[in-house]
This record gives sequence, C-alpha cells and structure tokens, in this order.
Amino acid sequence: MSVAPPPALALHRLRKTFGAVVAVDDVSLEAAPGEFLSLLGPSGCGKSTVLRMVAGLVEPDAGAIVLAGRDITRVPVHRRNLGLVFQSYALFPHMTVFENVAFGLRRRRVAEAELRPRVERVLELVRLDQLGARHPRELSGGQQQRVALARALVTEPSVLLLDEPLSNLDALLRDEMRVELKRLQERLGATMIFVTHDQAEALTLSDRVVVMDRGRVEQVGRPDEVYRRPATGFVARFLGRANFLAGVIARRVPHGVVVTLDGGRSVTVARTELGAGQRVQIALRQESIRLVPATTPAGENHFAATVVFHAFAGAAHHYVVQLEDGRELEVVAPGAEPPLARGTKTGIAWAPEDVIVLPGSAA
Amino acid sequence: MTRGRAWLLLTPALALLVVAFLVPVGMMVPTSFRPYVPLVGITGGFTATHYVKLVTDLYYLEIIARTLVLGLTVTLLTLVIGYPVAFFLARTTSRWRPWLTILVVFPLLLNLVVRTFGWIALLAQNGLVNQALQALGLVEAPVKLLFNFAGLLIGLTHIFLPFMVLVLIGAIQAIPRDVEDAARVLGASWLATFVRVTLPLSAPGILSGGILVFVLTISALVTPRLLGGPTYRVMSTLIFDEFLQRLNWPAGSAQALLLTALVLLLILLSGRLAGRAGVQA
Repeated sequence: MSVAPPPALALHRLRKTFGAVVAVDDVSLEAAPGEFLSLLGPSGCGKSTVLRMVAGLVEPDAGAIVLAGRDITRVPVHRRNLGLVFQSYALFPHMTVFENVAFGLRRRRVAEAELRPRVERVLELVRLDQLGARHPRELSGGQQQRVALARALVTEPSVLLLDEPLSNLDALLRDEMRVELKRLQERLGATMIFVTHDQAEALTLSDRVVVMDRGRVEQVGRPDEVYRRPATGFVARFLGRANFLAGVIARRVPHGVVVTLDGGRSVTVARTELGAGQRVQIALRQESIRLVPATTPAGENHFAATVVFHAFAGAAHHYVVQLEDGRELEVVAPGAEPPLARGTKTGIAWAPEDVIVLPGSAA
Repeated sequence: MTRGRAWLLLTPALALLVVAFLVPVGMMVPTSFRPYVPLVGITGGFTATHYVKLVTDLYYLEIIARTLVLGLTVTLLTLVIGYPVAFFLARTTSRWRPWLTILVVFPLLLNLVVRTFGWIALLAQNGLVNQALQALGLVEAPVKLLFNFAGLLIGLTHIFLPFMVLVLIGAIQAIPRDVEDAARVLGASWLATFVRVTLPLSAPGILSGGILVFVLTISALVTPRLLGGPTYRVMSTLIFDEFLQRLNWPAGSAQALLLTALVLLLILLSGRLAGRAGVQA
C-alpha cells in the first residue's frame, strides 16, 4: 500500500501506573479502519485500562492516543465521539430503551425529527425495535447488551470500544451474540477494539489479536499467527492448552532442524532460522498430536505411548498419554472417532510444521 | 422461605408498632372529641370544636403553616448542604474517608440540649455571630436570630444534617460508576451527567432522606422549645404546652392527630411522586 489511510486508532507508548503498580507499560498499537482488533489477556493485564484510556476515562501518565490522525490524548471524554460498551451494560435504569439509545443524540442536540428515525433504525439493527418503550430492568441480559450496543452505535462513533461485552452472558447466548456482533461489524464496517480474557472469543472475532500480559504487549498478529506461531511461552499457554518440552537444537536437516529433548528423544521441527546448540522450548498443541495405530512403523516425530486418561467432551475426546520414558502428553482427538480405552497401546505423531518453537528456557 | 415465615420475621417490629404507636394514637381519637371546660377539665359528651378551631382559628393555622414551612425549608437546606458532602464522601478514595464520615456523625454524639445551648450562645443578641457581623460592619444593629424562624432553621438544619448526609451517602454509593462513565462517553459533560444520570439515580436517597428530615423536624420538641422560646411555637411545642401546661388533653389530642395525619399524607404523596418519576426506591 503506497497511500495508506491513517490508522483509525493509534496508540503511542502508553503508560499508566496506579500507585506502585504499572498497569500499562509502553503499549503501542494501531488499528486500521474497519478492523476488528482484540486485546486479549488475563485479568489485571492492563487491557481494560488501555481501553479506558482510549475512551478518556483514565488519563495516561505518558504516551499519545491518535484517532484518525488527530491527537486526542488531552481531549475530554465527552468530546471524543467514541462508543463504549461495558461488561455491566451500564444502561440508564431510569430511562426507557428508546431514551437510553437517544441519549448520545440528545447530547449532540440532534433535532427530534431526525433523532426518532435514527434511534429506530439502530434498534432495528439489534432486533429490539419492538421494545423501545420498556425499561432496562424488563429485559433479559442479552437484550440489555443489545441496547448497550445500539446506544454506542447510534452516534456513529469513529471507533467502537467493547470492554468484555459478552462476559456476563451465559454460554449459549454468548455464542449467539458473538456471531451477531461479528456480522454487525462487517455490515457497518466499523472499527472495533474488543477487550476480552476469552481466547476463543478473541480468535473467532478478530482480524488481529493483541496478546497482553502484565501491562505489556506480548504479541500482535492474526488469530492463526498468534495461535500457531506464538512469540512467547505466555502467548502459547494463554491461547490454548499445549504440551511444553525443553531441549537443544541438535542439527539442521533439509526441511528444518532436529531438537534433542532433555531425556534424549529427537523431534523434527520445520523451522530453519534457528542455529545448532541453541536452547529452546517446544510446544505441541493438544490437537496437533495425532493418535496412530501402535503398529505404525516408527519414524520422524512418531512415538509409542499408552492411554492413561480418557474423557469424552462431545466434539472431542480428551486423552492423556504416557510415553515410554514416563512423560505425559495431553492429546485431543475429534469426537467422531472411536474412543481408545485407558491402557490402550497407541502411537502418537505430529507434523514438523505443527511444532511451536519458543526461545529457550531452563523450564 | 414461605410467605408465612417471612411474616414471622416482621412480628417483633409489628408488635412494637402496634403497642407503641397504634394503640396510643388510637386512644387519643376518642379523647380528641371530648369537650374541655377550663377549670373543670374533660367532660362527657361529643364535640368537634378542637378540630374546627385548628382549621379556622388563625392562631392555629399560622402555627401549622409555620411548622410545615419550617419542615420543608430544613429539608431543602439539609439537602443542598448535605448533597455535596455526601457526594464527596461516597466517591473519595482518600484514606481519611472513615474519619471524615465520623466527623459528619460527630454532632450526633453530643447531647441535644448541649448542642442547642451552644446555638443560643452563638445566636443571641450579643452572641458570637452578631458580634462578628457587627465587627465586620455587615450590620449596624444586632440581628434577631433567636426565638424566631431563623433561629429554628439554623438549629434544626444543623441537627438533622447528618441524617441527610448518611442516607445520601448510601444512595450515591449505590449508583454504578459505569453508568456515569457511559453517559460521559456518550457526550454528556460533567454537569449533564450529574443532572441527567447521577441526580435522578440518587432520587430514592433524596426522597428517604427528605422524609426522614421532614418528619424529624416537624416533630422535634427540645430544639424548637429552646431556640423558639415560650412564645414562638411550632406544632410540637404547641401540643406539649396543651397537654402539660394547659392540661387540655382533648385539644392536644386533636393537634397531635393532625400532625400525624400530615406526616402520613406527606409520606404517601412522596411515594406517589417517586412512583410517577419511575424511581425504584
């Protein structure tokens, strides 16, 4: 791209401390127009503080917030023209659904003749057009969340901020709202910054995911990048269960390198940028490990193992298998396959491309 | 818990209400219709004179009006003075907060009579307030601050302010911060947020604090007696005198019942008002 439009939102070296606690430490980010960007991390990692700084509810100690090319770091909250959806919905309990949605327009002194159709249109968008006269307490959690969404969307904010908007919903409704939110975003082409601690939510919804830990950005990337090529052990762990094995790079082979694990086994890894002698940690996702018949001849990344635990979870079988050296690995197999009973001798194998390699550590 | 069990929990309070409130009030009803002959006392028969006098005699009407105006003014004053204090105490993250809260309650720890005498010393013709006003050249002659409306207003506002503040602190703390933040992100200035969101959401507290202070004010006896003197009367002092000095129990009963009726009417009205405003108390 030669003439890229300015990013919808750019954060430059944001920093925030609360007393002695560094909540946000040197965070820089960019979101392209129309992008769905997730801030993912455990509670207390600073993701919500970043969002609240963008909204203007928290003042950064240092750094700049630039909205479509305009520095808004010192602009007061009510002049930023952003949308914010809260985990608690934060609806006005003393106003009807219609008045809740109209609130932002009334503050902007939009004339009544224009206000009414705009509110009705956005209520229709979130499928609440029949409920305008109700009060929030008369609505279900999902409906309340849709009101919150409509209220944030009606002013056509340049960026919509969502702070764990689905976390208070029960599992089924959450899945439903997830789809609805994604469709809405695609339809409106809105830039959304989405804060969540739920890695599945971040992966399914986002164009890019920002993984945060202890106030810092660990990695930024497309969902498949952060999942398949995590930059740090934290990212690998946080985005899904994996088996971690430590070792040393032994030698190069045509399609990658061979890692000698502590204990003597060798694993082939399809990564070529690593030099021999380097200490690494490899991570194997549960679903990257295939269960193969015990009779399969031994080969690259193939080991004999025994099933020591099995649980059926509907869409998947969860196994723990034990290698001959006593090491245990977690394996997930598609639920449609016939289960393997505890004690079954089996083989396990994985593709060199599926092995995650992380910078070495003694662990 | 079944409905019956739930009622069981209310039994002690209900019993107290019946014995200490309903029975005495009920006993006053027949008394209030008895004729009273000076120097003779309560006689047999039936008369509505005491009630008729209350609503026709200008002397009584003035006292009733004065009592109600005093109640409303004290309520408004405590609200206006108390709201900012309560707002601050509800929102501050200062570690001094518990101490500041105690400071608000502190006047309640002092004996009522002592506090009231304190005000007499301050408000008298040659009291501290008048001396200060004259020293500053703000007034030429001493201002009358005692044994009149101003005196009662100052004294009662001071005494009932902590009640208002305490009730309001609870109400303001119950407002989720997210809701206010949402208003501000939606484009409401600090003032607009306060007027459109914070204030309406603290209405239940304003209402209960208001009822509490109003009822306490119009039924207060010691402070009006001391700051109002023997001649500047409000309903409570009037009733007191009627019962204990003139020994006219029928008239006193009628006045007391009217006061009770006024209070109940007011509570009923404010409940209606709150219901119409959509406030969930």
